[in-house]
This record gives sequence, structure tokens and C-alpha cells, in this order.
Amino acid sequence: MDHIGADVIDIEQLLAETDSPDAGAFVVFGGTVRRHHDGKSVSAIEYSAYEPLAEKALAEVEAETLAQFDVISCVIRHRTGRLQVGELSVVVVVRAAHRGDAFAAGRYAIDTLKKTAPVWKRERYSDGSEVYLQGETLPGAGE
Amino acid sequence: MQVEFFGVLKEVVGSNQVTLDMSPPVAIAEILDRLTSDYPALKSHLPRVACAVGDEVKSRQDLLQADEVLVLLPPVSGG
Repeated sequence: MDHIGADVIDIEQLLAETDSPDAGAFVVFGGTVRRHHDGKSVSAIEYSAYEPLAEKALAEVEAETLAQFDVISCVIRHRTGRLQVGELSVVVVVRAAHRGDAFAAGRYAIDTLKKTAPVWKRERYSDGSEVYLQGETLPGAGE
Repeated sequence: MQVEFFGVLKEVVGSNQVTLDMSPPVAIAEILDRLTSDYPALKSHLPRVACAVGDEVKSRQDLLQADEVLVLLPPVSGG
């Protein structure tokens, strides 16, 4: 299964894939393109990725989430390409027997992937300028 | 040796990739030295850059073989 690519992320499909009678809760985190950043008006964000490592990193976050929390499933999808304001860039779906585990695991998954997946935002502003955002140094960088 | 750039590094170098005339196997650290010589603006970025080959993050002491492509990854901002 591809964790990252240009296709629109289908939340309903992810819920269908993870459906389980043992789950008493699911949590969906969705990241969307916001129309402002540091006081500037954002018109779009171009997401790019180094896909071989991004695939591996996102699969690892899923596996770590399953190992560290009492959850039944964790699936992550990240989108690339030029996204307009309001469009979904990333989705995490977690199912668990109980809501506390689902919330905690979902938070862990999104917080971790933002540090470990080689993905970059390039924001485009309403004045036509574009800039790569400063981000998190990857594990192993500089060594 | 072929080197590919991602994120802001594409702007720093002005290209998605460059080919260096170096004889493999060569240490990644040596490739980075060559790159900073050719592209001085890269130097300030390198302490926060991860080096990868395929889906593996590499140490700068690792050797790059003839059939491998070095990938330079700046700090990430996904999500």
C-alpha cells in the first residue's frame, strides 16, 4: 500500500479498510492547507517528498504506533503535489477498543511523522512569492 | 557520482541533481566537501542535512558505490 502520493486521500476508504468489531472508538486526524502563516496570506502549498524513504518512514510510524499503544489499527496517508486552501494533506486513522488509546495513538502518529518523513512544504503566498518552510531535522542528519 | 537534492537544497544548488567526476567508492563526507567547494551556499545547510541512499539514511563515513545515488535531505516540514 502506498502511504504517499498525488492521489486525493479518501477518508471513507480508510475507515472501511480499518473497520473492526473489536473497536469501540476511532480517531481521524486530518491536516489541511491553512490560508495564513505567520501573518501572510497563503494561496496554496506544494508538497514534495523523497518517496523511497517517506514510504518507509510512514510504515515505521504505523508499526511503532501499533507497538506502543493498545490500538487495533493505525493507517497513515500523505499527499504530494500542489494543494489548495482547505485540501487534505495528511490523514491518520486509528481504531482502538477505547477512546483514550485512540486519541493518544493518533497524536503520537502525527507528531512523529512530522519529524521523520522526508516531506517538504513550499508555501505560495497571495503576492506570488513562494518559500520552503523551515522544519525538523531528520534523525541521523549531520552524522 | 550522482547527487540528488530535495526541498530548499534544490534552490540552493539551482538544480535537482548534479553529477560529480569522482571515482567510486568514495566517502559521503568527501562528496559533501566537493559539493561545498562547487556550491558554497550549501555549507551552512549541511549540519542539518541527512544523507540517504535508496530508503536508508547513511553516515558521512559510509562509502558510495558506483551504482548508488546520494540523496541530500534538508529539515522536513510535512504534515
